[in-house]
Amino acid sequence: MTASGTPSPVAKRADAGFDDAALVARMAARDPAALREAIARHAGSLNRIAFRMVGNTHEAEDIVQEAMLRLWDHAPRLAARHAAGTSAPAGLRLSGWLARVATNLAIDRLRAARRVSGEDVPERADDAPLADEQIAADERDAATRALVLALPDRHRAAIVLTYYEELPNAEAADALDMNIKAFESLLFRARAALRQAFAAQGDAP
Amino acid sequence: MSAADHDNGSPIAPGSPLARALGEFTVPELPAGFADRVLAAAEARPAVALPPLPELRRKPAGGGAARGWRLGRRIAIATVGFGALATAAAATGLLGRFDLPVPSPEKVWASLTGKEAVAAPAPASKPVEAAPADPAPAALAPVRIEGPIDTPEELGEAFRRIDEVRQGRSAMRRQAIEQRIEREKARRAAAGLPLPTPEQEARIRQRIDAAEARREGLIDERLEVRREEMRGRVEAGEALSREDIVRPLREDQHAMQQREKLERLRRMSPEERRAAVRRLPPEERRALMEAWQERRAQRLGTDAPAGAQPPLAPDAAPAVTPQPDLSQPGTPGGEPQR
Repeated sequence: MTASGTPSPVAKRADAGFDDAALVARMAARDPAALREAIARHAGSLNRIAFRMVGNTHEAEDIVQEAMLRLWDHAPRLAARHAAGTSAPAGLRLSGWLARVATNLAIDRLRAARRVSGEDVPERADDAPLADEQIAADERDAATRALVLALPDRHRAAIVLTYYEELPNAEAADALDMNIKAFESLLFRARAALRQAFAAQGDAP
Repeated sequence: MSAADHDNGSPIAPGSPLARALGEFTVPELPAGFADRVLAAAEARPAVALPPLPELRRKPAGGGAARGWRLGRRIAIATVGFGALATAAAATGLLGRFDLPVPSPEKVWASLTGKEAVAAPAPASKPVEAAPADPAPAALAPVRIEGPIDTPEELGEAFRRIDEVRQGRSAMRRQAIEQRIEREKARRAAAGLPLPTPEQEARIRQRIDAAEARREGLIDERLEVRREEMRGRVEAGEALSREDIVRPLREDQHAMQQREKLERLRRMSPEERRAAVRRLPPEERRALMEAWQERRAQRLGTDAPAGAQPPLAPDAAPAVTPQPDLSQPGTPGGEPQR
């Protein structure tokens, strides 16, 4: 507990870890209610990450669904590693695990899309009927989306995870399978690139 | 946005134009039946038997506590490393080269227990500074006399050991004088001052040797008188203690201290010297003046033939020699008579 009487961040994280471990244990026991609870808790955050990474509603939905299904598949292994009755459950953080899966899925899809179409993702996404509606609905939204989506994949992921999702650098580095120093360097370059693109956008007629 | 900001990778400040623009990137909600769709897909998904996950490399329990342990281990390693380096520096004499005093274990122990530290013999590798200034404590340590001395053989052995120490001290003194002469020559060469000719240098060495021999002779005379007295006491059946044997050396130590005091006065400017002498207690001042006058009278008596020799330039003499040549006229200086 902190001086103000509220639980300290470390205590909060430990509590969340025990909570997540219990949820995973239930999923390992094939309890559909546990999966529904996990979707309710984490799907919104995963959708934001996925959509800001790929810029397409359907693709984002697919990514979130795939991430949740992977959680369902991996629940027995996760439950075995973070078994109750030991100190290990405190180390399990489903949000981090899911963010990592969703980010990697998004990056995989972006790469695959480039291999197939040879163009940038926003242009390919514009083929969808929804894209017209979105762009028409909010030009400013489109401009910002173009700004973010113009970043290289990993730069974009760094901005999405730390700026939009407000993940600590250590967790964002984990999600991208990087050490903290390398991630900080990546984040620095991503911010610089974003500023540069924003300035270029402002200079455009 | 300035050009400098373009390359800036610092965090995006809330409320900045960029932050406002990024805030426009809204995300559509997931459709209402999304959870049901995922549940249905999960139900329909064939059960896959995945291999168990490998063990975690680092136990996740208590992130803060683990960090504390890692930090503590680093501090411990740093402390042990610093201690090892400091010990190595002290052991190799590196601290001495930077003029940092390193107390010996005996001194540290004595300061803890309140007992008098036993003086250790002066190291043979550092004779330059120690020999002329403070040789007396080193002289006491190597002479160990166990139990009372009541036979001429034991007494002879004690004298032999004392003579060994004295010879060592004498050699150290000679070495120190040689080094000082060489240092003074180097200093003069570096300053562009004329160097003494070989003849002048030979005369200086001769005078130094003569002074040293005179000093040794005086000490020998005094020691011999005392030794005769001790031999007589042992032959008469009296047992001598360690104190009886080393007392002459303690007197020698007192004389050395007196000499050191005079040396300090000699190095002062005339005004400082007068002020320092005035600050001394009356009896000490009197003893000092008497020692100086006695020494001066003896010098005038014994050095008279040397006056016929061409005098050296005052700065041609070594910085510190047993000779009183560098003393200021009319003030206490030179070596006290033993």
